[in-house]
Amino acid sequence: MAMRFTPTEMTPAERALQAEVREFLAAEMPTGDNTPGNDRALGMGAGKNKEFSKKLAERGWVGMAMPKRYGGHDRNAVDRFIVVEELLRAGAPVGYHWVSDRQTASVILKFGTDDQKERFIPPICRGELGFSIGMSEPDSGSDLASVSTRATRAEGGWLLNGTKIWTSGAHENDWFVVLCRTSPMEDGNKHQGLSQLLVDLNSEGLEKNGIPFLDGSPGFNEVVFNDVFVPDENVVGELGMGWAQNTTEMAYERGGPDRWLSAYGVVEELMRHHAGTSLEDRAAEVLGWATARFFGLHNMSFTVARMIDTGQAPSIEAALVKEMGTRFEQDVLLRLLEFVEEEPDPGSMLLYQRLLAKAILTGPSFTIRGGTVEVLRSVASKGLRA
Amino acid sequence: MTATDPTTDPGMVDELLVDSAYRLFAGVCSFEAVQKAEADGWAPAIWDAVAEAGFAWIGVPDTAGGSGGTLADACAVLLAAGTHAAPIPLAETGILGGWLLAGAGLTVPDGPVSVVPGATGDSLSATLNGDGSVALAGIAARVPWARRADRIAALVGTADGPRVVSIPGGSGAVRPGTNLAGEPRDDVDLTGVTVPADSVGVPAADATADNLRLRGALSRVMLMAGALEAMSRLTVEYTEQRQQFGRPVARFQAVQQHLVWGAQDAAITKMAAQVAARDASRDFAGATFQIASARTIAEGCASTATRWAHQAHGAMGMTQEYALHHLSRRLWSWRQEWAAPNEWATRVGRMAESAGADNLFPLITG
Ligand SMILES: Cc1cc2nc3c(=O)[nH]c(=O)nc-3n(C[C@H](O)[C@H](O)[C@H](O)COP(=O)(O)OP(=O)(O)OC[C@H]3O[C@@H](n4cnc5c(N)ncnc54)[C@H](O)[C@@H]3O)c2cc1C
Repeated sequence: MAMRFTPTEMTPAERALQAEVREFLAAEMPTGDNTPGNDRALGMGAGKNKEFSKKLAERGWVGMAMPKRYGGHDRNAVDRFIVVEELLRAGAPVGYHWVSDRQTASVILKFGTDDQKERFIPPICRGELGFSIGMSEPDSGSDLASVSTRATRAEGGWLLNGTKIWTSGAHENDWFVVLCRTSPMEDGNKHQGLSQLLVDLNSEGLEKNGIPFLDGSPGFNEVVFNDVFVPDENVVGELGMGWAQNTTEMAYERGGPDRWLSAYGVVEELMRHHAGTSLEDRAAEVLGWATARFFGLHNMSFTVARMIDTGQAPSIEAALVKEMGTRFEQDVLLRLLEFVEEEPDPGSMLLYQRLLAKAILTGPSFTIRGGTVEVLRSVASKGLRA
Repeated sequence: MTATDPTTDPGMVDELLVDSAYRLFAGVCSFEAVQKAEADGWAPAIWDAVAEAGFAWIGVPDTAGGSGGTLADACAVLLAAGTHAAPIPLAETGILGGWLLAGAGLTVPDGPVSVVPGATGDSLSATLNGDGSVALAGIAARVPWARRADRIAALVGTADGPRVVSIPGGSGAVRPGTNLAGEPRDDVDLTGVTVPADSVGVPAADATADNLRLRGALSRVMLMAGALEAMSRLTVEYTEQRQQFGRPVARFQAVQQHLVWGAQDAAITKMAAQVAARDASRDFAGATFQIASARTIAEGCASTATRWAHQAHGAMGMTQEYALHHLSRRLWSWRQEWAAPNEWATRVGRMAESAGADNLFPLITG
């Protein structure tokens, strides 16, 4: 069996970083604020707050693992894990820099040209450049290699035509990485001829149409390209190697604390709401079940980060954690309903009620976004065989 | 706390020792040997091999007749034992019974020891006599391998405070019982049995009833972690070999779901078990949350993983002639041992409740 989850633990320096982030967040996001409109976020589905992203960047907590020479901090995956875990725990507004920090900077560092590294990584590390993900299309979801957005040759670059969909944050972000076809499919081999392009979301010919999310919030978009010009210098890595690069990019998305903390805020606020009254046994049992699982998932996710830093490639482990973590996020909500008596109301005067309502309404997406659990199971089961 | 120096950090496991434990169990716990142990109620060859290597007494100080080593070492050996469904009272002899006896200054025998787990149905009571002997009454319920134990250790309350009694094997009336895996879990009626003063001791300061229960729970966590890992591996192998519709059944997505979920159950249980063992070995009093959490995780995973594993095996998993039942029946037993319904989850929940909203995450992340 190819699984290698070995427990790890924090060094004193890592503990100190964790304490520092906690202190920062306690000051930035005082708990107990019950004002509607000020709600803490539920995990990575967080709102965008450019000021907040910049403040974090000033602390050195955006693009941590990027090299100093590109404005990064030469830290590692564990340090990023510690920071991100605390941010998500607190429900911090990480939306603006989230994708840039989690995956785009890494993709550019790994595959990009020197010029691209100079242009994009420093502003990402300053918290000043928000990226979206341009993968899904109306006819291409899980079967991503079937994308039909195409780039055709033009003087000094490419002309992009097609439609991306479900593009989170495209209405507020600056750029996105677009997976598209740069040469026609040959012999039915859809994994060849795909490329990744860096595209300015404010390009001429690019149209953004908002799609309301289930809870009514903005965030989802359709992005239509009508002859959008993309200069040659914005092709990431090697032309035609987009599929392999994209697969690497998706691996950065997995196994992190964003895959099991989405419902955490509901649990914490529920406890805050109940402070001072003793929980019934039934509630204590559910809380204990959830807390124990948080403990287990924290340790697994932490180990995945440590494995990255020790040069292992924990792609199977990460897929296992994501698959189970996202199902757990949904299970938590169901189990809370075993003892929460009030009917959920998105406009409630109580913070935990608003969060619970939001979590129920957005919950189905936990096991879909970034690759469905069904697809993850296929990935993971291949690893079990080896 | 950070592991740095393996010679002084009691959280570090002696890897050489663990490797040799795996080798030994793999050698002696053959399918036939485990099968025969159930029929006979005792596996002398397995016990002798394990005893000779000293594995039963790891975590019990050598000065008290043990093999030395840490609680983390003992737990790692239990995990190995769980992997091979070793049908012997390993935890009872070492980190449960042996620990109680050694801490009370009593002799740790060189044969198997059991311990009174205080299971449902237990009615054991004790009276301290003027000469220091202890008169017992009532039933010690669900005592593992009581019929074979050289000594049964019990932590009892008396008017003069708690005492550890070392009850000689064969005392009282044994009503044989078994767990779902056919391992002896005997009720012993100890009414009228008097334990002489030289077999009665004052428990060590940390040998409280609650710490015994935590240790019992930790022992089952380690065994379950081992069994879950072995069960996941067995199921992956079987579904690769078993062909239907012209291909291995592991190629079917519905079966892959069972494999992946079973592997996750195994992985999270082992992770939680190893963290709990490491932390308990360093500072037992500070590891209550980890042990209770690991126990909660293991119990749930034992229930779900046995379902997935059996489903993926089809009828083959339902016969005593195939090894799956050595693991699944133990998991069904261990998930209820040293536990009342919801006990451990509720305990974690109470700890979370008293930590409060602000300190819940620090509790989770240690
Ligand atoms: C909140 C949210 C945010 C998102 N943000 C972005 C974004 O920013 N950028 C972006 O590009 N995309 C984004 N997505 C899209 C996301 O990546 C896709 O939803 C996902 O890849 C699944 O594709 P689909 O929705 O088209 O489902 P489909 O692929 O149509 O799947 C439908 C069902 O069929 C199952 N299925 C499909 N193929 C298989 C198979 N081979 N085996 C077994 N089952 C299968 C699926 O698991 C699912 O249950 C977002 C989605 C959500 C929910």
